[in-house]
Amino acid sequence: MNLDVTATAVFVVLFLFVTWLGFVAARWRKADLNLLHEWGLGGRRFGTVVTWFLLGGDLYTAYTFIAVPALVFGAGAIGFFAIPYTIVIYPILFLVFPRLWAIAHRHGHVTAADYVRARFSSRLLALAVAVTGILATMPYIALQLVGMEVVIGALGFPTQGLVGHLPLIIAFIVLAGFTYTSGLRAPALIAIVKDALIFITVFAAIVIIPAQLGGYGAIFASVPKEKLLLPTPEEGSLGVYSAYVTLALGSALALFLYPHAMTGILSASSGNVIRRNAALLSAYSFILGLIALLGYMAIAAGVDKDPAFAGGFSLYGPNFAVPALFLASFPSWFVGVAFAAIAIGALVPAAIMSIACANLFTRNLYKEFWRPDCTEAEEARMAKIVSLVVKIGAVAFILTIPHSYAIQLQLLGGIWIIQLLPSILLGLYSRAFNAPSLLMGWATGTAIGTYMAATQAFASSIYPLTVFGLSVPGYAALYSVAINFAVTIALAPLFDYMARRSAQSAGL
Amino acid sequence: MTAEKKKPKPGWRLYLPRLLFLIPLLAVVWVPFYNRIPPELGGIPFFYWYQLAWILIAAVIVMVVYLIDTRVTHLTKMAEDWETPGPGDVL
Repeated sequence: MNLDVTATAVFVVLFLFVTWLGFVAARWRKADLNLLHEWGLGGRRFGTVVTWFLLGGDLYTAYTFIAVPALVFGAGAIGFFAIPYTIVIYPILFLVFPRLWAIAHRHGHVTAADYVRARFSSRLLALAVAVTGILATMPYIALQLVGMEVVIGALGFPTQGLVGHLPLIIAFIVLAGFTYTSGLRAPALIAIVKDALIFITVFAAIVIIPAQLGGYGAIFASVPKEKLLLPTPEEGSLGVYSAYVTLALGSALALFLYPHAMTGILSASSGNVIRRNAALLSAYSFILGLIALLGYMAIAAGVDKDPAFAGGFSLYGPNFAVPALFLASFPSWFVGVAFAAIAIGALVPAAIMSIACANLFTRNLYKEFWRPDCTEAEEARMAKIVSLVVKIGAVAFILTIPHSYAIQLQLLGGIWIIQLLPSILLGLYSRAFNAPSLLMGWATGTAIGTYMAATQAFASSIYPLTVFGLSVPGYAALYSVAINFAVTIALAPLFDYMARRSAQSAGL
Repeated sequence: MTAEKKKPKPGWRLYLPRLLFLIPLLAVVWVPFYNRIPPELGGIPFFYWYQLAWILIAAVIVMVVYLIDTRVTHLTKMAEDWETPGPGDVL
């Protein structure tokens, strides 16, 4: 592929603009950034509009824009599970998280582990929550780099070898720089630009590309029949049907447990801001649905058969479908805009994720176990340094380890993070549960979920569960968290009884 | 929880509007119902336009529950008083 000079110029200019914006953000709603809740939560002052951009930028990442259409392009209808997923997440956001926000706000919690620590008075459970959060988020950051690498490659840069990795390394140095100085304010401000670019790109794509291809009817007509619908399950199995629904439900339940989503929620200025966003964020869901359709547009445009894109597909696989579609359909300057939208779409969540990991490490590991009496300034300084370390780790990870490992780890991350659901959910509504039972549930769920993924050689998270002779293939995260809940609920009265007994025998 | 106790406890009926959230869940949970091509809408198979339409309907349902909470049952308003939001609730 040759370097597309016009597209690269537009791309670089937009990238420089958001870099400037990221550093300027330090002075936006000026406050003392040497306090963790100012650096890491934007002072909890983001209203409905900023939270809308921040959560949107947080949840709909560059990887989403590349991978969802890539799945639709490669596998067809199953890739559309992203739609029921986005339909279910907003009621969950409305029902659960304003309550968590209120508790976190009153007690000054910065992370989910802070909340669990205070709610169940257990350092061990908080440790489990913090470590799970960090482990599940790290591969997610690495995947943002995969999204970015695909568009840099599509611009015509080589992405192999040390020189090839240079654009990616520069982008991450920039990201590390403004995250360090501005904290959560930087991604919040950049998210506004990112969304403007994404919306322009998507609306252009859904108007211009179907016009070129002869309308939506022609696009769907060119999709192979076997991709258009989910295959009908065989006798004695729910087949792809149960996989589709459990993937949607499991992913939806896991979403807001991710530390970066939690950071976005806790930085809101009130519970009402979260409730309003539960309705308003569906605009993004609709955009995501349209983005998923780009996969079919790529099939209709025949980009995989175009010799000009053969090199891209051999390097990046189906992930190259959307960049190739844009290159084939848009003039060069607009390709620059679209690719910048995707690359900036990687910066925003990567920044929020690294901040969320830094908050967890500092609050729940460093301060809890090493420096209980550290000052607030030391706490904020530590978090800033950790945010750098996390990003260096993600870059090193993606440059040295095959991408398929990052994808497998992210898949495992989904199974691990959902195990926090009982600890966070049950404590919000009931006092009947205790730390030991939640820990046992967490350990059992994590072990069984990991085992289920291992039986699929970590290539798929769909586990073929058999119930009374009926095969119900489903998302391992959903099955394992059900076991987690069952263990927690069964053991809670037992541990309560034991605690009462030991209190009595101690003469209390 | 101390601030909450000063107000009369909201009865469980106030939370009933939230059952509306079951509607979008039921609409997408039974895959065989929508895993079909006819009826098409402007060339788009049912499987696709049905799910896209439910994104919009679900958004309206969340908005309706929010408004009922705020205007009719005052649940959201009570929560707001309890939470004491900072300045800049909108921006």
